Amino acid sequence: MRFAILSSVSVLALSVTGQAAAQDALPTYSLYGTPGLLEMPTAQTPDEGTLSATLSYREGLFQTVLSFQLTDRISGSFRYALVDLYDGTATDIDERELERGFDLQIRLIEETDVLPELAFGLRDFLTPGRFQAEYLVATKTFGDSLTATAGLGWGALGQRDGFDNPFSGRSTRPVFDESDPEGQLATDQWFAGDAAFFGGLEYQINEKWGVLAEYSSLSYPEAPNSPAVDGENPYSFGVTYRPNEAIQLTAAALNGNNFAISGSFFLNANDRPSMSGSEPAPVPVRVRSRAERAAPAADISATQQAAIQSALAQAFRAEDLGLVALELDGSTARVRFTNGEFRSNAQAMGRIARILTQALPPQIDTFVLEPVSRGIALSAIRLQRSDIEALENRAGAAETLFDRTAFVDAGPDAGLTDTNAFTPSFNWNFSPYFRLDPFVTTGTFSFDAGVSLNASYRLTPRTGISASIGQSLTRNDGSDPDSDSTPDLQNVRTDSGDYGDDGIPVLQSLALTHYDRPGTDLYSRVSVGYLERMFGGVSTELLWKPVDSPLGLGAELNYVAQRDTDMWFGFGEYDYQVATGHLSAYYDFGNGYHTQVDVGRYLAGDWGATLEVAREYDNGIRIAASVSQTEVSYEDFGNGSYNKGISITLPQDFFTGRASQGTYAARLSTRSSDGGARLSVGGRLYDIVRGAHQADLSDTWGRFWR
Amino acid sequence: MKSVWKKVFLTAAIVGLAACEEQQETDLLNQAAGLVLRTDTSAPTRRQNVVPQEELAANPGKYIRINIRDISATDTLVAAGTNGERTTWIGGSGTSVTFENGVIVATRGLPRDLMGADASQTVRAIQSGGGTSVRVHDFLDDQDQITQFTLECTIEVTGAEMVNRFGTGIPAARFEETCRSDGLTLTNVYWMDASRAIIRSLQAVSPDAGYLQIDAF
Repeated sequence: MRFAILSSVSVLALSVTGQAAAQDALPTYSLYGTPGLLEMPTAQTPDEGTLSATLSYREGLFQTVLSFQLTDRISGSFRYALVDLYDGTATDIDERELERGFDLQIRLIEETDVLPELAFGLRDFLTPGRFQAEYLVATKTFGDSLTATAGLGWGALGQRDGFDNPFSGRSTRPVFDESDPEGQLATDQWFAGDAAFFGGLEYQINEKWGVLAEYSSLSYPEAPNSPAVDGENPYSFGVTYRPNEAIQLTAAALNGNNFAISGSFFLNANDRPSMSGSEPAPVPVRVRSRAERAAPAADISATQQAAIQSALAQAFRAEDLGLVALELDGSTARVRFTNGEFRSNAQAMGRIARILTQALPPQIDTFVLEPVSRGIALSAIRLQRSDIEALENRAGAAETLFDRTAFVDAGPDAGLTDTNAFTPSFNWNFSPYFRLDPFVTTGTFSFDAGVSLNASYRLTPRTGISASIGQSLTRNDGSDPDSDSTPDLQNVRTDSGDYGDDGIPVLQSLALTHYDRPGTDLYSRVSVGYLERMFGGVSTELLWKPVDSPLGLGAELNYVAQRDTDMWFGFGEYDYQVATGHLSAYYDFGNGYHTQVDVGRYLAGDWGATLEVAREYDNGIRIAASVSQTEVSYEDFGNGSYNKGISITLPQDFFTGRASQGTYAARLSTRSSDGGARLSVGGRLYDIVRGAHQADLSDTWGRFWR
Repeated sequence: MKSVWKKVFLTAAIVGLAACEEQQETDLLNQAAGLVLRTDTSAPTRRQNVVPQEELAANPGKYIRINIRDISATDTLVAAGTNGERTTWIGGSGTSVTFENGVIVATRGLPRDLMGADASQTVRAIQSGGGTSVRVHDFLDDQDQITQFTLECTIEVTGAEMVNRFGTGIPAARFEETCRSDGLTLTNVYWMDASRAIIRSLQAVSPDAGYLQIDAF
């Protein structure tokens, strides 16, 4: 009969079609790190949420590009390039200059049976834009494996056999004045000057191998401040290899006599490798019998509560959660807990609710769950026990429960019984660190990597000391870049390369931090000590954030002094003190877009504002872009004029499926300049508080029952 | 390997990357299951339960064996909780499966869990020898949201077969349930013995978790 089963299995197929269909195949990515042939862009668009990192090399030009498909139509890219540039007179070559830039591409028409995909784009669109180009490009697929691309380019893409601008009255393209501020929108240049044609073909031989041929309109002319790259011959050919859907490798013969290689690595924020996660099953719900529910409420003695609390604490520990305190009051149980395990607080609450059904007396009808972090309670989530019993494993359970759940501020400390008397605790760990400081002055940057020894000592539930000692593995020369293009501003960041460059261990931070709840919807932080690598002093912060509001308002006031470059205890070397701080507004738009505006005084005493806009996926992937503008004149600010940066956060459980709050994070900025520099203090309130509030809980509420 | 490759290469490609500390995996299930089942909590790490044939045969109703066909894994489950008509069974590998009269209504710990289902019409159709049903299935998607499918199903008897159990043939009626929705099609098979208990079945969980073969002893 075994055979009978197997034969019936063979006809079974579980298939998903329609809206949940598999992701489309990725387009090929060029050496410039965006969808393209070899150096020419194509109009092809990856699925929304595609994040790519490309490393490419051809002689004289090494690029690292991060590209993100923000919406179905819009993609943005950030580039660090090490490029050989002709100097200001085009007589000599400056080798390995660091250039940063941004690209933007917008799809105009999606491909149909008849129409090609059509897009326009801006490459390296800020001044000075050594690769600056604009283009309009069309790509058409023929059958399963052949695509043809034709485009019209301006700027760097309009240099080979250029002709008069067909669209714009702007027949000449202004040359960037090297004395003008960098980092501005180069609107004077966009779509100005000669235009030229480019194009190419791509043939996919099989799933893994493809070949490319392109006619390039990039000619890399021998001009001042232009890339010193050989582009005389317009024809280039390449081979692509995709061992799997996450990797593309390319080898190419460029412009007749140059060899190039690139690797692109992909993930899609909507395609989680760990699917719904591999955490073990939760404890099931225990349902009270009819008799239990009908019985009159029994008094719970202190001894009984202690026994219940002890059993609960053990069950919480089994889920790597912490039972901080418990109150049993009539028909309500109030539970304060810590969650150091699950990325989703909703998931932690779901597990706690089920444990409570197992251990609490039947007269308890209401569960109030209060997440605690840094010793302060962050919110109160009120659940009905009968809902937990009725909705377990039911279709629509998550949505129904969310509608019936109240999200309010945490209750008072009074009435709670602590699980254990507080005892001071000590923790420590080692971690690697990497730091890249791109300096104001063109072409220099500082890279540092090493090991940190981190330790923390908790004096009271709300007060702790943390310290970090670092040992660089890359720096011991004491002569790192030391340039200052902003002589009128205190070197609050440009001397970063001088800090801790002696090759001996340094004190990265040593600070005492206290958190508190001064009132309803209010949270506070005070930090004292060596707050960051370059500054020490006092940092205070107050945050107003109602649990059910998408808006938060914060105020931070710091008084700090600049540390000595040996990164130990002294402040005498600079004798620089400053009062710095910001008013901040945080807003969750609710569709995956979050914004933060900070207005205030920066470390160099300059006044200004920072805007950050983030695209956050409910699974924890976050991509943010920020820009700072201060009163410092472009001349004083030096190159860069605005501080711009992007940051990427990838949750570890996205890849592993194991419960974890760990993340992989990277922050990339265009400049580290003295204007618009903020104190880099750890443990800011908003990031601690938000995960326990309604908006963030709703983002992952689907995990409540997981 | 896919996720490992993605992780390794993406992280290598990002300049200035900083990895936060990795949390340690601990043996949650055995402790949690121990709490509920009042069993020994000192058992080692998550591992499939292996129960000898004699033990299975000697204790009817105590064990369910699942075969997660897509990942070639098996586990033996014991009942951990009852909620109305539904019983949740948990195995040593951290997987739980919840049944309503032999029909799967939820799973936990599989690659794509069935978070909850309304399958009561299927249960009734099987009990009454066939018919049609509407099922509602909730899945947890890659954005931690619930995706719901409503399936229209036909249940019919496709014959009588012998189910081999420890070398003995047990006569059983074979039911086939074919379900279809906008985005999902599946076929479940149930073998029901003379006492109207489903002793074996092949049931779909989700596109990523595939089918489970379930043997109820």
